[in-house]
Formats: sequence, structure tokens, C-alpha cells
Amino acid sequence: MTAQQPVKFMTIEERLNVNAWDVDIYRPHIKIKDPDKCRYCEKKPCTYMCPAKCYVQQGNIVVLSTEACLECGTCRVVCPYENIDWNYPRSGMGVWFRFS
Amino acid sequence: MSSKFDVIVVGAGPAGLAAAYKLASAGFKVLVLERGREPGSKQVYGGRIYAYWLDKYLPEFRKDAPTDRWVRKERVSLMTDESVTTIEFEVVKPEKTSFVTSLYSFTSWLGKLAASAGAKIVTEVVVDELLRDEKGRFIGVRSGQDKVYADYIIDAEGVNRLLLERAGIVPRLKPELVAVGAKEVLKFDNRKIMEDRLGLSEDEGLAWAFAGWPTEYLPGGGFLYTYRDSVALGVVVYLTAWRQLVTPVYDLAERLRTHPYIARLVAGASLQEYSAHLTPVAGISMAPPRFSYDGLLIAGDAAGFLMHAGVLIRGVDFAVASGVLAAEAIKEAGRPDALSRYDDKLKSSFIIRDLAAFRNADKVLSGQFAFNDLPKLVNALMRNYFTIEDRPPTIASALKTTLGESNVSLTKVLINMMYALAYL
Repeated sequence: MTAQQPVKFMTIEERLNVNAWDVDIYRPHIKIKDPDKCRYCEKKPCTYMCPAKCYVQQGNIVVLSTEACLECGTCRVVCPYENIDWNYPRSGMGVWFRFS
Repeated sequence: MSSKFDVIVVGAGPAGLAAAYKLASAGFKVLVLERGREPGSKQVYGGRIYAYWLDKYLPEFRKDAPTDRWVRKERVSLMTDESVTTIEFEVVKPEKTSFVTSLYSFTSWLGKLAASAGAKIVTEVVVDELLRDEKGRFIGVRSGQDKVYADYIIDAEGVNRLLLERAGIVPRLKPELVAVGAKEVLKFDNRKIMEDRLGLSEDEGLAWAFAGWPTEYLPGGGFLYTYRDSVALGVVVYLTAWRQLVTPVYDLAERLRTHPYIARLVAGASLQEYSAHLTPVAGISMAPPRFSYDGLLIAGDAAGFLMHAGVLIRGVDFAVASGVLAAEAIKEAGRPDALSRYDDKLKSSFIIRDLAAFRNADKVLSGQFAFNDLPKLVNALMRNYFTIEDRPPTIASALKTTLGESNVSLTKVLINMMYALAYL
């Protein structure tokens, strides 16, 4: 075995970059129903339960970008206010798993 | 897509494709609708596949299904910030009882099998709705503007059962019923390096479960499985953990990979794919009120057919078997309003028997003992016993010191052991 290299922690963006995608940028498949409701959501679990970091807190609001969505459905289930309108991407779009 | 089919299967996963294969083989005109580009391209699992029930329900897999590595070595590790205690079980003579391969390649194989039997698999189609007639019988599916009709519908849409929710059959998915898994597939340039580090010979596999540190001591766990020349490394955390979890889920798998204990095992391997999926964790509690309705059968994860008993996690064998039983029910029924036999078949099969036997597993696994107290206590006990200082410890003194340092009483330990014996 060769000498150990220091292990670098890859950011989620770096990790998502290795995946294959076919992104439907014109028709996001997930929407926040009422963005105003997120202001009053104390823990905003979507921002840390989503495995792809699709939800980012900016100030007191939540910004959603679906390009790197892994289509797991966690956000829909975990949103305490049932404030997420969730669908699968249309016609074969989205992530394309090949090795999992 | 105007022609009418005998059967429409929603979802080209192990459940849907097993059903499609059996029905097409029996001469039924079968249409499989899959939202991904090809069968398997939206799928993720831990994982491994157990062979015992596949031998009964889909013996064809022995001939040419991809089985990267047959599991020879089982490891269960209790992990804390400071140490790891591992139980390892290895059979001296290799057996073929469970194997590790990517779910993508297994599903791909099953898709080819179903297609060769005559099933028509149409990909890149998202089904939006199950269609019913005025009497409430299921008669077809809708995708966007397109409608397709059939005598029988098999819903094998997976854990995220939007169609069943929209049809009013099941309530909205609750955090108590599912966990999210995030997984990294790490590829070795030279698989000999992987085999040497994990103590495997060619074609031998390792299945490894971790409890404690990987989930910040919350319900769930870490896993490592060996594919042919890569490892699947990941973390599963119950969605109920959302109130306590500090590390974001999107960093949990990478946090495990870079833990010094794991890092040296996978050093040099490069990330091939980062994936995530929900998985049922509450077994039979996730089941719909019935598995058969007029014109509709529910199979696989959509029906909650995943056995979760902590270390033992089985989904693919349950999915395949339920698909095969759905096909048998349709063959025998002869008409869409005589499908309740599917419920009977499930009840007399291992599927409901095993799920029912583990119906309380979730009570043990969703509490804080299994993933918090236990890993910490066992590691403290090991440290207290193996550390030789002034006065050498006895087993009893090490145990006494360990419990004294913790806030867990011996009574609590014993009670939880009894629960584990009763429910797991």
C-alpha cells in the first residue's frame, strides 16, 4: 500500500458534479407552494435534510433550485407545513443513476 | 399508445419487472411504464440481495444475473468519535446466500429478461394518475395528456407512492415511515487494493453496517458494500431525525468517508456516483389497507414490502416475490374484480409472515438506545477493559466503571436487551 494521502472533504457541489444529468431547467418539478410560509418555519428542515442541498436559506427565506435534485422525495415528507409541491421531472429528465 | 394492453405495470423496478416477466411469459400483453431513461436509472439501494427467496420465485437469476460479489464477510460496527467496536462473521467455505451488485445492473438484467419474454417497456414516461371508471374500478393510467387502458394495473411505483396518495388509497407519507439514504460509489483503479484492504479474495463480498457516529447517534446507520471494483458507502437516517440532526444529510456520507477509520480503507478510490433515495423503515406499518383493488395490485416498496430489522435489511427479494405473486394472482383471477387472492397469496407467503414478525422492530430501532446508548456503552466498556493501568480491570469492574461513567442504568440496558430479543 502506498503512503496515505490526506483525505479531502469534497463539497456537495463537487460530489454532485460527477453524476449524469438531463436537466429540465424550464420546468422545475418541485415548487415551494407559499414561500412566505417558510419565513415562519423555525428549523427549515428542507435546508439540511435534502441530500442534494437543493434548499438554501437566504436571510429568513428559503431558495429552491432543482437542477441537482436526486428525486428522493425527502423534502416533501419532512416539510412541517406540507408546503412543497412535489412531482417527478418530466419524460426521462433529471438524474441518471448508473452505478448505484 | 392507443392499443389496449392486458396489464400495465407502473415502474420498472424489481417488483414491476418480475411481474411483467411472469405475465409476458404466460402470454399476457404487458406494458411497463418507467420514468427513467432505462430500467434502473432512478434506483438506489444499500446494497445487497438475498438469494433464498429468489431461488423460489425467480430462479433464472442464477443463470446470468450480475452478481458482482457473493457476501462472505459480515461486519457490524458500533462507532463513536473515539473508537470502533466490530463484530465480524466470516464463513470459512464461501457460500452463495447473498450477493452485492449495483441495483442498476440487477434491474437492467431483469428488464432484458422481461423484454425477451415479450413485455413492452416504455421509458421516459411519468405516470401522473391511476384512472378509474364510474364504479371506482382501476382501468388505466394517465401520463400528461395520454391515457392508456388495461384490464389490470400493477402499481410498483416505489417508496414515493404519489399515485397511491392521489388515488386516496394511502395517506401522505409521514416522516415516521421512511429514512433517507445518501450514498457514494467509490471506484478503485485496481480492485486488488480494495480486496486486500478489506480482506477479501476475488469475487468475495463484504456487507458492513455501522451504528452510532455516522448518524450522530440518531436512528439509522452507515453501510459499506463491495461491488466488483468499487464500494458503496453511505448513511441512512430516519426522517424523524430532522429535529436533532446537526450535520446536513448532504454531508453525512462524505463525513463517513473522511472519518479516519474509513478514509484509509477507501483512500485513492474516486467518486463514481453520488445518489440518494428514500427507504421504508416501518415495515408493515407502511402497508396500504389492502394490496388488491378491482383492477389494481400494489407491489414492492409502494406496498411497504421492505423488511428492516436494523442489521438485516431486505427489499429486493420482497419486491421480486411480490411481483411474482401479483402475476400469479392475475393469471388465476381471470377477471379484474377477483384479485383479492393476491392479498391471500401475500398472507400465506414469507412476505407478510416476515413483515408481521418484525412489526415491532421499529420500536427498538427508532428509540435512542440502539443508536446512541449502545454504541457509546460498548465502546466505553472495551476501552475500560483493554486499557491496562495501575489496577488491571476485570470484566465486572470494567462494566461497573462503564455504567458509572454513563447515565444509563444496568436496568435500562437489560430492559432494552429484552426488547431487542423480543422484537428483532
